[in-house]
Amino acid sequence: MTPIPLALYIHIPWCIRKCPYCDFNSHQSPNELPEGAYVDALLADLASEMPSIWGRRLESIFIGGGTPSLFSAPSIERLLCGIQALLPFRPNIEITLEANPGTFEQEKFRHFRQAGINRLSVGIQSFNDKHLKALGRVHNRAEALNVTQIARNAGFDNVNLDLMFGLPDQTIEQAMQDLQQAISLAPTHLSWYQLTLEPNTLFHKQPPILPDDDLIADIQQRGQALLADSDYQQYEVSAYSKAGFQCRHNRNYWEFGDYVAIGAGAHGKITQAHDFSIQRYQKYRQPADYMKKALEGTARSTQEFIAATEVNFEFMLNVLRLRDGFELALFTERTKLPVEQLEQGIQKGIEQGLLVRNGGHLKPTALGWRFLNQAIALFLGPK
Amino acid sequence: MGDVNPNIRNFSIIAHIDHGKSTLSDRFIQVCGGLADREMEEQVLDSMDLERERGITIKAQSVSLDYKSRNGQTYQLNFIDTPGHVDFSYEVSRSLAACDGALLVVDASQGVEAQSVANCYTAIELNLEVVPVLNKIDLPSADPDRVCQEIEDIIGIDATDAVHVSAKTGVGIEDLLEQLVERIPAPIGDANAPLKALIIDSWFDNYLGVISLVRVVDGEIRKKMKIRAMSTGRDFQVERVGVFTPKALDKESLKAGEVGFVIAGIKEITAARVGDTFTDAQKPAEKALAGFKEIQPRVFAGIFPVDADQYENLRDALSKLQLNDSALFYEPETSQALGFGFRCGFLGMLHMEIVQERLEREYNLNLITTAPTVVYQVALTDGDTTLIHNPSELPPISKIAEIREPIIRGNILVPQEYLGNVITLCIEKRGIQRNMQYTGNQVQLSFDLPLAEVVLDFFDKLKSVSRGYASFDYSLDRFEPAPMVRVDILVNGEKVDALAIMVHREFAQQRGRQLVEKMKELIPRQMYEVAIQAAIGSQIIARSTVKAMRKDVLAKCYGGDVSRKRKLLEKQKEGKKRMKQVGSVDIPQEAFLAVLRVNDK
Repeated sequence: MTPIPLALYIHIPWCIRKCPYCDFNSHQSPNELPEGAYVDALLADLASEMPSIWGRRLESIFIGGGTPSLFSAPSIERLLCGIQALLPFRPNIEITLEANPGTFEQEKFRHFRQAGINRLSVGIQSFNDKHLKALGRVHNRAEALNVTQIARNAGFDNVNLDLMFGLPDQTIEQAMQDLQQAISLAPTHLSWYQLTLEPNTLFHKQPPILPDDDLIADIQQRGQALLADSDYQQYEVSAYSKAGFQCRHNRNYWEFGDYVAIGAGAHGKITQAHDFSIQRYQKYRQPADYMKKALEGTARSTQEFIAATEVNFEFMLNVLRLRDGFELALFTERTKLPVEQLEQGIQKGIEQGLLVRNGGHLKPTALGWRFLNQAIALFLGPK
Repeated sequence: MGDVNPNIRNFSIIAHIDHGKSTLSDRFIQVCGGLADREMEEQVLDSMDLERERGITIKAQSVSLDYKSRNGQTYQLNFIDTPGHVDFSYEVSRSLAACDGALLVVDASQGVEAQSVANCYTAIELNLEVVPVLNKIDLPSADPDRVCQEIEDIIGIDATDAVHVSAKTGVGIEDLLEQLVERIPAPIGDANAPLKALIIDSWFDNYLGVISLVRVVDGEIRKKMKIRAMSTGRDFQVERVGVFTPKALDKESLKAGEVGFVIAGIKEITAARVGDTFTDAQKPAEKALAGFKEIQPRVFAGIFPVDADQYENLRDALSKLQLNDSALFYEPETSQALGFGFRCGFLGMLHMEIVQERLEREYNLNLITTAPTVVYQVALTDGDTTLIHNPSELPPISKIAEIREPIIRGNILVPQEYLGNVITLCIEKRGIQRNMQYTGNQVQLSFDLPLAEVVLDFFDKLKSVSRGYASFDYSLDRFEPAPMVRVDILVNGEKVDALAIMVHREFAQQRGRQLVEKMKELIPRQMYEVAIQAAIGSQIIARSTVKAMRKDVLAKCYGGDVSRKRKLLEKQKEGKKRMKQVGSVDIPQEAFLAVLRVNDK
């Protein structure tokens, strides 16, 4: 049987400033970042995770944040070397680093590239100065426009741009201008997603006025057409790529693969080798706590096994996000459970016109694609 | 003839809502030492949660207190509480029937209100001694002279000796108790005659079975005695008798003139009907006491479980509620849209709301209530007459000779400055003025109004056009021919029987339009467009559309916190479950009551 693929997520929790919409674990960076100590902690953390992933190899690494590009290239290099000493990499492993436009220096990024980073994911969010300001971003339009050129000069041929729509007071024209601008920079990948107000953010407490649902749907529809015309293929709810440049790391989430997580507040999911039960865990969120605990080898703040009644839901929550759907056999590959236990939900989904089955393949219909939550909810376990 | 204890006083308090009856009764209990101070929870007599929350009294309750008078004698004061809302006027007359006197409590600044006038007349008809009391005398706005004049002008009783009290501060409470024992007569009865005890109220307790509140008129009721309910002839052995102080206090017996509870192993409430007489099974009385007239529900609505599986639970809950609420009527009903449920009859809108809330709260049911309707009399072309409790029962138009609607006689008391507003409102509601009388600062208005207009939102409107100062009481007067039509509501072209309403033809167009607009607001957007139409027969009179939702997708999912996403979807699913699926459309519970909310802004 095919082994379950394994990815590594590394969280670097500092930003120059916390954005009001962001619900990731990020903290305003102190004057001097404790880079060395944090890299030590990450490596100690990974060492303590080794028993659960012994003998497996990494398919991808994603260094996210926060703003990992705040770290120096030597720190990133030491980190990647340390990881490789513990875990074998597959050939042509994808290693992504998240970066923000305000932190872009060509020399530094050349060093990142030399350290082994081969994919950049840049948080542009918008090219409109008014919207950038509303989002609390530290960069401006001019900096955003320079990003891909700097990246290319630094040796990166695989770059993702993060772009948002449905911004405060955004018109459909403005949203299309943003998207057109991003496309003209010719990234290999675009994550184009709707701004949502998440709990524990400033925007949730003091909500800005956002475009209404109809306008947002119009923006999305127009944008999807524009992206398709520009040869960006949508392969997930918010992910679009040029042929051959889908994000392997994110695909692993959506295909319900395993991922080790190190770094403050990081979430991991690991299938236990002995009984195939699936464990989820989270690391301590506060950087200081995390670093202390990681060195002691006890960086997990919570851990739990996915209840048998929830496996269906968690699997479908991820795989149904893939535009082309999935082979039903994947369920058994990932969970070692019989695919029949999805049958009831699948039946209902087909009856309601949300899902379509073709032999052993399942995918959302056009309707199901628009109402994905309703399709996924069919697989919720009893409360 | 055996004498009745001359130191018993059975009385009620007649008061408008908010005029301080509950606070006053708390004072009585405190002064007479019914409860230790630390046990005084405010407004102890309102024992149902709902009563306390809404500040109204729904069921009659009683309390027996020992009062040591200034003349050195100890009196047994039996206070029988009465509900203050017009919906429950039936319960008021029941409570009053067990009394020998009543305190008329009037707010010293607000003056007399219509509700109190009606209840006072009931008391006077029953030959009760009415003692006027001015409450809230401590307020700076108190105007006792004016209010006394109002009592004399409007109700027609002498108010020169009206006691001035403040239930809040305690001023005048003892003076009031003195007046009470002096002016309210001792009960009349024969302690040696065969037992006759009037059942004032009965309710069901899960542990004790049926508990009846009785007024012993003749003889006595003792523990272990065999008693007979005279209307059914069924016998029961008395297990416990006692009084509420307001805690239940067991006694050996209740004697002629006393008021208290009886527990006799009765399992179903129908065996101890309110208004029935208990007598001694060994030595039965010849004639039962005059009972109460059967109450007629005025307002009808369908109650359906959202989840069909809860039908049996709903039936159980209704039967249990009916144990404590003889005014509640129900019978099975089937709706094409809502499935199996019950058509329920209520005294009025408040009664309906309370029943609905109790069903949901105490029995944990998830319910849909349909728009309330009054009873229509329909004369058929073949000469028969039939009563319609549900718009869907309306016979085909070809068979209808005439539809008659219930008309009430409404009495309104309103300060002069709001008179114009109130008259405008009454006319808007198809009212016809019958009488108008100026009494001091207030005006007494009498209007004939269709009951259907009154149940809808008349109370709320009346309060808002008079800034809360107008008060209202009504009684059913007659049926009168009216050009009523049934307005059907169609959802995606399908007629939804549970949404049909009866409307005066002149208002049909407007009501239909308001209704479809309101429904549009209440029905959430769904995967498909929803068309809502109002129709009379096959003629569409209004239409609105709930546009289809465009999408419902989580923007981001990157292996992070799953539990939050799960909770979000669970909540969505739960919300959907609380709606009723009619065809392929999810309709929320509120939409079935949209007609009540067409004027919400």
